[in-house]
Amino acid sequence: MSASEPLLLLERDDSLPVIHGGVCTRSGASEDPEHLLGLTRLCGRLMRRSAGGMPAEEVDARIDRMGSSLGLDSGHGSTALSGSVLERSYDDFMRLFEQILVAPGLAEDELERLKRETLAELTEILDSDQQLAQRWFLRSLFAGHAYGRTVIGSEKTLQAIGVADVRRCYERHFTRQNLVFSFAGAVDRDRVERASRAIWEALPEGGPATPPPEEPSAPKGRRLVFVDKPERTQTQILIGGLGTHPSDADHFALLVANTVFGGTFTARLTQEVRAKRGWSYGAYSSLGYDRRRQAFSMWTFPKAEDAAACMALELEMLTDWWQRGITAEELDWAKRYLAQSQAFSCDTAAKRLGLVLDELTSDLPKGHYDRFVASVGDVTLEQANRAIQSRISLDDLTIVVVGTHGAIGDGVRKVIPELAGDRVVPFDTE
Amino acid sequence: MPIQTAHSPSSLGSLVERLNQGRPELQQLAYVGQTQFGPKLRIERFRMGNGLSILLVEEHAAPTVAYHTWFKVGSRNERPGKTGIAHLFEHLMFNETEGLAAGEFDRQLEELGAESNASTWLDWTHYDIAIPSAGFERVVELEAERMNHLVLRTPQVESEKEVVMNERRYRVEDDVEGALSELLWSTAFELHPYRWPTIGWMSDIESFDVDDCNTFYRTFYAPNNATLVVVGDVVAERALRKLQDAYGGYTPAPIPDPPSVREPEQRGEKRLEVTKLTPTWKLNIGYHSPALHHADHLPLSVLSEVLFGGRSSRLLKTLVRDLELASDVRASLSPLADPGLFEIFVSAREGVTAERLLEVVDAELDRVLAEPITDDELLRATARIELSLLQGLTNNEGKASTIGFYEVVLGNPIAGFERLAALSSLRPDDLTVVARRYLTRASRTVILVRPQTPSEPGPEDDDEDDGDEPITTPRLMGVRA
Repeated sequence: MSASEPLLLLERDDSLPVIHGGVCTRSGASEDPEHLLGLTRLCGRLMRRSAGGMPAEEVDARIDRMGSSLGLDSGHGSTALSGSVLERSYDDFMRLFEQILVAPGLAEDELERLKRETLAELTEILDSDQQLAQRWFLRSLFAGHAYGRTVIGSEKTLQAIGVADVRRCYERHFTRQNLVFSFAGAVDRDRVERASRAIWEALPEGGPATPPPEEPSAPKGRRLVFVDKPERTQTQILIGGLGTHPSDADHFALLVANTVFGGTFTARLTQEVRAKRGWSYGAYSSLGYDRRRQAFSMWTFPKAEDAAACMALELEMLTDWWQRGITAEELDWAKRYLAQSQAFSCDTAAKRLGLVLDELTSDLPKGHYDRFVASVGDVTLEQANRAIQSRISLDDLTIVVVGTHGAIGDGVRKVIPELAGDRVVPFDTE
Repeated sequence: MPIQTAHSPSSLGSLVERLNQGRPELQQLAYVGQTQFGPKLRIERFRMGNGLSILLVEEHAAPTVAYHTWFKVGSRNERPGKTGIAHLFEHLMFNETEGLAAGEFDRQLEELGAESNASTWLDWTHYDIAIPSAGFERVVELEAERMNHLVLRTPQVESEKEVVMNERRYRVEDDVEGALSELLWSTAFELHPYRWPTIGWMSDIESFDVDDCNTFYRTFYAPNNATLVVVGDVVAERALRKLQDAYGGYTPAPIPDPPSVREPEQRGEKRLEVTKLTPTWKLNIGYHSPALHHADHLPLSVLSEVLFGGRSSRLLKTLVRDLELASDVRASLSPLADPGLFEIFVSAREGVTAERLLEVVDAELDRVLAEPITDDELLRATARIELSLLQGLTNNEGKASTIGFYEVVLGNPIAGFERLAALSSLRPDDLTVVARRYLTRASRTVILVRPQTPSEPGPEDDDEDDGDEPITTPRLMGVRA
């Protein structure tokens, strides 16, 4: 990237009078200080609400009047302020964007209001067993690492955040060096460049890009966290460990192997858990990544009475996958599926833009998606099976269950061989 | 560079004549006509001799095709004791057929790189497959196979019943909002089949057997009860020929009319208070609302945006921002073939009761009657609706879903655009009129949810799992998470 030019991505598509896009920072909540967790997310939301020093009500009304949407997506490695707008309002949209990025008011009373709203959101999460499972899974698997820390914050850290902290966060993340402008839709390059440059030129240069966090390491041993919630007829189960990052040489090999294991509707996990036994409405495994390796995880949600049996089956299947690998026939099928279905990753301008943005913000190898089909095609059976054994650990597993402990806790614990750690947490523990 | 193929009606008429040569009557296609779909696309409509409706849009911007099959059967076609069969059946449609072993249907789709899903609601069942265009012809064969050659056996039915019961636990039993919505609809409606949940009562799901499923299949899954919507990178001649080959052998069936039940006018507010394991009070309100075809539906949907759409809407501003009483405020106007509900959901902040939320909601709704909607509010609401429609059309899947939905519910695949065009003629007074007509306290049902903390025992007569007072959830049920 040249320091004299904004980094701008554009995918033109005139089929509909709509434009999608916004800006993305190449840094995120990983940088929030331990005692100020939730800061980056709060900062982005406050910027939106106080564009150009306007009252939040006026900003909201302008967004609606234009026929637009504008939201914040805050992750560990990046923060995106983006939305959609009717083509006729694009210039107004970009003027508002400029006010958000260049001259946010960051007023204290609005910050305090936003903090109260965020605390209410934290309370709402208690209603979602699925979100509780994810929260505890990441917190346990990445304990001590940036990826284990909450992006939204906690009551204590949110209360500690002041306007000065938000302003420092704004000045750190929203700089020329750190921003990517990206747009898709019915707009030409001149128009996008003009508007983006006006914003970019008004921003400070900023410091160099932040390096990614250190490589995570999984906790040793098999560790169960039982999130105890009364009156559950069903359980949420997450089992997993670390996966791969696309920059790892064996990433595609593990991707293919996971596709066989739990990546599609006809994969082993779905067939055994759902199709044959009817134990769970969904049964999948997935590989996540950020700027570093994220989690490999298996997700099921059986009824309470089936939780222990389902857990036992999943562990047995995981062991079998690890020990015996996948077959040549399965490999061929998974490669065909991944190559063919790639068409849906890039069938719209906004999706194509998303792939390029993903490469930039997740530190993917350049051309990762251009080579996707070829890279999948190159995976051999030996590579796929070696990737399972080298990347997936049967010994180090994080297991999270959300359910009613008094009813099923003992049964679940008994079916996990060689359990090294076992704790029960009330579901409303922050 | 997108390539648009321009067909004139006369060229398609000639094409159909050519395709029909030598074919039996059931396979004969009739070209019904073309309709503009948005500024750049056209829908070509055909009808096969066996009654199968086909809506085709050639769109070559991406090498993919959306292949959607809609059946005019939903939970409204069920009867008490057999609730949930339409949804269970939708699950079973992914099973064994005469030509495909169990699991083979999905396996072959995945080999083609296809993404498949299905959903059932009150008025319809919808199967959608997104395919790279090279796999189009095989997908036609697979879809046609299951329309007429499904094999139902006890082990698969029993296993799928377990899956659906788990889906119900996920969406209703362990989900506060799902349980509330179910309770709201079953309380608001007394006679109409919309009163029971699309997913069905648990006891009904448990009781289904192979005979029930076969009866349902033979009654409703026939070509004359189906509409195919094909959008994407296909060429009309090749696509139509393939459809004739695949579906032309099927015979139409006598399809029972949907039950014609007129819900009696509600003449007094219904109010319930229940206790749930949830951290804060919740409020759910349902006002009886017009059917999608009714002239009042559009102004009421705009009023819904004015009141509840976006952060600048009246209720979000008042409840979330100004008074800080709520953390979540939403509303939806049901788009149904028969009159449904205008549903409001509010989740309170800690320490705020549902009674207090209701006071504020009522005050705001009273204000609509007393003070007209401003031109600016109307402008904001219509702009949001326009954006929402266009956002739904960015890919072939979205276009096919929009076309199919309006075709099945209204018989008009371009109704979305027609509603959009009609927005400009709406005046603030039109919204006041529908507010006065529908948002009346006598016609509403109110559910107040008292939070139960973990240490508190729930009341013995909790509403959940009460066989005498079943709960209902007419929300969209997707088959695959």
